[in-house]
Amino acid sequence: MTALASPGPETPRPETTAPRDAGTVPRGRRGRRGRPRLASTIVHRAIVALLILYLTVPFGWLVVYSIYPSSNLRSTRMDFSLGDITLGEYASLLSDSSFVVPIRNSLFVATATTIICMILGSLCAYVFARFRFRGQQTLLLSMMAVQAIPAVVLAVPLFVLLRAFGLYDSLLGMILTYTAFILPLVIWMMVSFFESIPVNLEKAARVDGCTRLGIVRRVVLPLSGPGFAATSIFAFITAWSDFFLAKVLTSNTTPLLSVRTASFQGLFAMDYTAAATAGVITALPVLVLALLAQKWIVQGITEGAVKG
Amino acid sequence: MTRRTLTAAERGDRRFAVLAASPAVLTIGALFLYPLGYAVLLSLYRLNDKMPGATAFIGLENYVQLATDANFHQALGRTFVFCLVTVFGGVALAVGIAALLQNPFRGRNLARVLLLVPWAVPPVVNGIMWKLIFDGSYGAVNAVLEGLGLLDAPIQWLADPQLTMGVLMLSEVWKLTPFLALMTIASMQAIPSNIYRAASIDGAGGWDRFWKVTLPNLRGTLMFLLIVQSMWSIKVFDTIYVLTGGSGGPAEATTTINFLAYLTTFSYLDRGYGAALSITIMAIVIAVTGFWILVLGRRKEKAS
Repeated sequence: MTALASPGPETPRPETTAPRDAGTVPRGRRGRRGRPRLASTIVHRAIVALLILYLTVPFGWLVVYSIYPSSNLRSTRMDFSLGDITLGEYASLLSDSSFVVPIRNSLFVATATTIICMILGSLCAYVFARFRFRGQQTLLLSMMAVQAIPAVVLAVPLFVLLRAFGLYDSLLGMILTYTAFILPLVIWMMVSFFESIPVNLEKAARVDGCTRLGIVRRVVLPLSGPGFAATSIFAFITAWSDFFLAKVLTSNTTPLLSVRTASFQGLFAMDYTAAATAGVITALPVLVLALLAQKWIVQGITEGAVKG
Repeated sequence: MTRRTLTAAERGDRRFAVLAASPAVLTIGALFLYPLGYAVLLSLYRLNDKMPGATAFIGLENYVQLATDANFHQALGRTFVFCLVTVFGGVALAVGIAALLQNPFRGRNLARVLLLVPWAVPPVVNGIMWKLIFDGSYGAVNAVLEGLGLLDAPIQWLADPQLTMGVLMLSEVWKLTPFLALMTIASMQAIPSNIYRAASIDGAGGWDRFWKVTLPNLRGTLMFLLIVQSMWSIKVFDTIYVLTGGSGGPAEATTTINFLAYLTTFSYLDRGYGAALSITIMAIVIAVTGFWILVLGRRKEKAS
């Protein structure tokens, strides 16, 4: 991170100096000040509780919209009788091929994109982390700079390019497009994970007769496990969630889930229950994935993504 | 090891490096450089699918037209307001959340894990979610306000231009801020605790420690957050599309520059002008990024 800043205020104020209990870490531990400051603790916990509500309630509402008939949800008299809960909309959507096919397509595209990105991205990131060559920084930075290009700039040219190769409106075309968009992100994250692995381990592996590829496979990847997992999940969620590129580069023959879900809401008419249900089905896989892998993601962010 | 095997190894290494890096570099290059060149070229043409006969090379005329285009200026103004609120509001909120969760307490891990919820919700679903919550007849917000007796008649949130913009800002901040908060927490953990110890010994209270130790040490992270959030805010699209039924309405209130570029290219089919608009957006993104680097940047420091 950044260099150390000069500690604290320059004029010590002895009248408020806390007793020095040796061995305690004073990072804001309230107990250090002699008496627990109950009031501020209560305020703090209350704010945290609000934060938790803020993070979860909106999506919770979406779930509510998907399991009640909309007649129960008029703003003037909301009726949450448990007897009215129904999963009918889920059943009808999941048996409707115009909704199931997009799920399959999106699953396939996001999975394939993730696998390709992780293979190509890891190899490339390893080279950037371990080799020094001319123009390295420039190349790495320019690969990052493509993040600054708005997708709308590339939409028409990509459309023309894919059509020229017969890949417009195909799953393969989408996989290629997403791979290009997600690779820079994968490389950027993996470089920082790889840089945190001690070089000595690799040297030892070389002495034992490993090839470079063997080192990546046997030493580097196992050691960057959490980072690798976190990055894969990033890649998957990004590919699964994209809407703009899918909208521009596919038509109705190979629908992707995000486009199908967006189509549930029109400008004026909207089937609330169907839209909410489609929304929950679209969000649930990635939400569950993120929560199951939260340890890796948080660890991954903590280890690697903190670049000043 | 003799010299010869070393050079052989070096040669092998070099071959490995080129082979390992090239697929990724070439993929990125092919799918960015060619389209980018194409887009720049396209922006120099009059090319409108609704006027097939009028295609011609016109040089910088599209850009000249942009400079006096009232629609563009209005979209630019909306984007500016939107970015101002979401970037400063979002980053401030992220730092606030991070500070709230900085010290261990029971329930901190739960709060941290839940920060991932908004991040994982796809933008399209985010749009649908807020659309339903703020719906005039079935909206949760109206229900709550009426329940509290604050409302006589339901508010049509998504029919009022200003209110719709507010809902859009809220939905963006809800989705993006928690992830920035996670990153901020990560950088806060990297601040050596000795500094805090020293500050405490010098008599600094919680606030002092936050302002005089935490924030100065987050300078690099803050720059990163501001850049990332600015990029996201300028490029906002999916939520607008879903929230407004693909219109950028009501009364164009949510047509930001990126959405205008989409409408110009794909609804009005004015491809040349749309390309010029897109390239201008790219220039704005680069300018804003440069601005943050100038304001907050330092000499480059490698993160450990």
